Amino acid sequence: MRIAMRNVNKWFGANHVVNHVNLEAEEGEFVILLGPSGCGKTTILRLIAGLEQCDEGQIIIGERDVTALPPKFRDLAMVFQSYALYPHKTVADNIAFPLALRRVPAGERRQAAHEAAAQVKIADLLERYPRQLSGGQRQRVALARAIVRRPAAFLMDEPLSNLDARLRSHMRAELKNIQKRLGITTVYVTHDQIEAMTLGDRVVVLNQGEVSQVGPPGEIYGNPRTLFVADFVGSPPMNQVRGRVRQGVFYAGDSKVAVDAADCEHAVLGVRTEDVAPAAAADGDFAGVIYASELLGDCTLVTCQTGDTLLALKTDKNFAGGIGEPFGVRLNRDRLFLFDANHGRRIDNNARRAGKP
Amino acid sequence: MNAAGPPPAGRWSLWADRNAGSIFLLPAAVVVLAFSLFPLLASFYLSLHRFKFVSGGFELRHVGWLNYKKLLFGSQQYHFLGTAGEWHAAFTFVVVAAAAALIFCLYRAARRGVGAAGIVGRVLAAAALLVLLLLFLRIIVTGVPGTLATTLVYVFAGGALQFAIGLGLALLCTSGLRGGNFFRVVFFLPLMVTPVGIAYAFRMLSDMSKGPFAPLWKFFGGENFSWAADPWQARMVVIIGDSWQWIPFIFIIMLAAIENVDNEQREAARMDGADAWQVFAHVTWPAVMPAAATVVLIRAIEAFKIIDLPNILTNGGPGIATESMALHAFAAWRTLDLGGSAAVAYLLLVVSVVLSISFFNLVVAPSRRLR
Amino acid sequence: MAPAGFRPLRIAGYAALVLWSAVVLFPLYWVAITSFKTPSQVNGGPYYLPFVDFMPSLHAWVYLLVDLRNDTLRPFFNSFVVALCSTVLAVLAGAMAAYGLSRFRYRVHLGSIGLFLLALGLAAVAVVQAGVHWPVAAAAALAFFFLAVRALAPRMRRSVGNQDILFWLISQRILPPVVVVIPVYLMFQQLNMLDTLPALVVTYATVNLPIVVWIMYDFFNALPRDLEESAAMDGASRMVIFLTVALPLARAGLAAVFLLVWILSWNEYLLALFLSTADSQTMPLLVAAQNATRGPQWWYMSALIVLMIVPVIALAMLLMRFIRRGFLVGAVKG
Repeated sequence: MRIAMRNVNKWFGANHVVNHVNLEAEEGEFVILLGPSGCGKTTILRLIAGLEQCDEGQIIIGERDVTALPPKFRDLAMVFQSYALYPHKTVADNIAFPLALRRVPAGERRQAAHEAAAQVKIADLLERYPRQLSGGQRQRVALARAIVRRPAAFLMDEPLSNLDARLRSHMRAELKNIQKRLGITTVYVTHDQIEAMTLGDRVVVLNQGEVSQVGPPGEIYGNPRTLFVADFVGSPPMNQVRGRVRQGVFYAGDSKVAVDAADCEHAVLGVRTEDVAPAAAADGDFAGVIYASELLGDCTLVTCQTGDTLLALKTDKNFAGGIGEPFGVRLNRDRLFLFDANHGRRIDNNARRAGKP
Repeated sequence: MNAAGPPPAGRWSLWADRNAGSIFLLPAAVVVLAFSLFPLLASFYLSLHRFKFVSGGFELRHVGWLNYKKLLFGSQQYHFLGTAGEWHAAFTFVVVAAAAALIFCLYRAARRGVGAAGIVGRVLAAAALLVLLLLFLRIIVTGVPGTLATTLVYVFAGGALQFAIGLGLALLCTSGLRGGNFFRVVFFLPLMVTPVGIAYAFRMLSDMSKGPFAPLWKFFGGENFSWAADPWQARMVVIIGDSWQWIPFIFIIMLAAIENVDNEQREAARMDGADAWQVFAHVTWPAVMPAAATVVLIRAIEAFKIIDLPNILTNGGPGIATESMALHAFAAWRTLDLGGSAAVAYLLLVVSVVLSISFFNLVVAPSRRLR
Repeated sequence: MAPAGFRPLRIAGYAALVLWSAVVLFPLYWVAITSFKTPSQVNGGPYYLPFVDFMPSLHAWVYLLVDLRNDTLRPFFNSFVVALCSTVLAVLAGAMAAYGLSRFRYRVHLGSIGLFLLALGLAAVAVVQAGVHWPVAAAAALAFFFLAVRALAPRMRRSVGNQDILFWLISQRILPPVVVVIPVYLMFQQLNMLDTLPALVVTYATVNLPIVVWIMYDFFNALPRDLEESAAMDGASRMVIFLTVALPLARAGLAAVFLLVWILSWNEYLLALFLSTADSQTMPLLVAAQNATRGPQWWYMSALIVLMIVPVIALAMLLMRFIRRGFLVGAVKG
């Protein structure tokens, strides 16, 4: 079902943790809440769940205003970071618990638990207790418990963060597959931007309780609206060079780059690592020395120091430059972002063309 | 897949969920209000009255603070406070030592930067403490202790003994000796025995003519003698019986607390060259200190209420030597002096509340702040 | 620590453990063999070993369980019922309160507390001075209290919170029973409940409630909230969460508290002395009564003491594996 938050505010003491948040998740959509720790993403999820009460604003699920309803009556299923499995119940009883609460007869319950378990491939573990399971298996039990009844929506609070890297990427694919198959609206909280990119239909980037940007993953990555989003999304993070813009030219130290942006005394030039290319030290946009060179496997990440700033770029895996050697870089002129350092908003004309989301 | 849908938001279940907090607290609050708050007020009311049975009921006559005056200054002073004795040379030494300790504490408080008001308050409290100590010494050493002094002896001497032995046993059981589990079960046993039973058991054991230790006693040339005739020996027997029962309680909690200390800390200390005593003093003790302070507080709170043991073991005797305040109140009740009984009980409440809260503020709370 | 390595210390450690075991076990042993002695064997001077220096006899047991039968078994039954009911009641009410205090935020206005005390005082004055029948006074006071709170609640500012309520509940344990026992006695007299089992059950439950709250509060506080939130999302009401999630998770603490409260009610002497005379006599009173005019009947007494210890040991063995963990949480975090 559709989930909407209308102008929601929440304070913890004097701390404004959720600041005028408006949010829509369409039927069947996979929405990611992305942000650093302390940005209020988990609080927003808990507000939707009903585990916290809004101080102001409205929460609507389907056509129902649930702002004042306890979680019990909201018909949502939640997967917790810790999985929240009941240690005193078997896997089967854990999965069937939501049905037991609805007084579903035991036979049907067993049947449903079995089906849900089969969906996440743990049908052979039904008689075990949670303590006898591995982390990945527990994760699947929690998932099965969420899908055993058809809730109005799934809420997931960093469900993959306790798994090791390999299992995480596997579960990511599986999660997306299950969600699309069932077609149930999902709100998913994470601080991991790879999860956000790969899973989400739409990503909501949050900063200090406020929505910074909402959009499909590609747009968040390729057209960040603020310096915060540009900095937070992407790994390695976007290169940033401080300087000033005067009459279409960006000045930083001795270097200058022609840009299509308004004048600004405190500007930040942003460029993704893949839009930076090595050049001869003399004729690049920036010249400096090699600061570090890290072999990532399929490529080498070279960091170049120019003045006070570090610029990273990806180059051939056989790159053999040593630390301290002179190095130049050239920027892809079509993929430059310019921000005002004071308020973090975009000042280049590409931003206006892309329109404000 | 089961399309269970949302549960209906019925009025009753919605109401129950909204008011769940009150529902959870209500039973306990009602019970405590009915059986603690009301009797507490009624008891205070009673302590200001003289109670008399008349035909078809009872009569209460208001006497003001008379019941309290009698206990503190009047005809019952000997019974409650006791009789102060002569000055003894040794007291001077004790009082000087206590004064020195208090002055040291004041000095530390001043160094910590306590304000002028705090210093004045502390000086006054220290002076009051010294006076009380002096009085206490004169009552219990050279005088005749009343029920207040006897109760304090049970609480302090008994508590110290129980804590020392309980902690010692817990340390022994966690020191890597074999058979720890067996000893744990055995050491727990006395807690399960009814105090009445303990009183009788210790009466049998301390019988020096037919009890199990009689032959030993005779071997060492003991006469046919009854410990129950000597006030301090009688008090000792009460304390021993009480300790026998309650050491397990302290033992079991200290055991759990010690086992809860991160063993890696101990190992790290040993790697750094600490010996057994240093490991205890620098790692184990600081870690178990909050538990120790709490368990001593619990024990002290319970010890103030001691009644079964002195009542049955010695019947409060010889004279009033082993009579605790609770037993004093009970004895007054038996003579139908309900007002006097309530007054003693109220004084017991005041003493135990003041000492428990002081102990909490001075020892328990600071020990927790360290964590 | 030290004894683990160094041999003489090791031996001293064992010696201390064995010595204390003897201190613990010998009184119990003496009570046990005394229950099998005849009066002449007790009075004839100490005999230590059954079958070796005296011939055990079942006469005390036969007398208590066959000759007296109901006079022994009724107090036993009374004690059992009182201990069981009061323990269940105390643990349930105490665990509920502890759970509530660890999960909800409470605010009680100081004003309503004042009004409550005022209502109580007015009722007391009405009963004592004006001779109003007490149920009438109580009902009127309650009505006054609720109306006054409704009317004045919006104007009240200062309030007390969870920690104050917790302290209030736990501090009840400081109250010596002897302070409250006379009014409780008069109260039950008014209700015609003196010398009945329910009176003892309710009184014991109240007296032991603070211990339950004390220990269980820390236990519930230490439980992860995720499990309960998950149950709430899945559609469980607060009460269902408490019963099916919180209580099972806290069963270690519950077992320890149950045993402790059971021991305290099973062995309680003072309140029983006041509140029961004949019909509701409990075991501690029966044991105490063996100190008859003919002098203490050691053999009967010992048999009764053994009879009292056995059920507690059985219960403890049942719950023992939970106990150490249960005690710890309450003690360490206080």
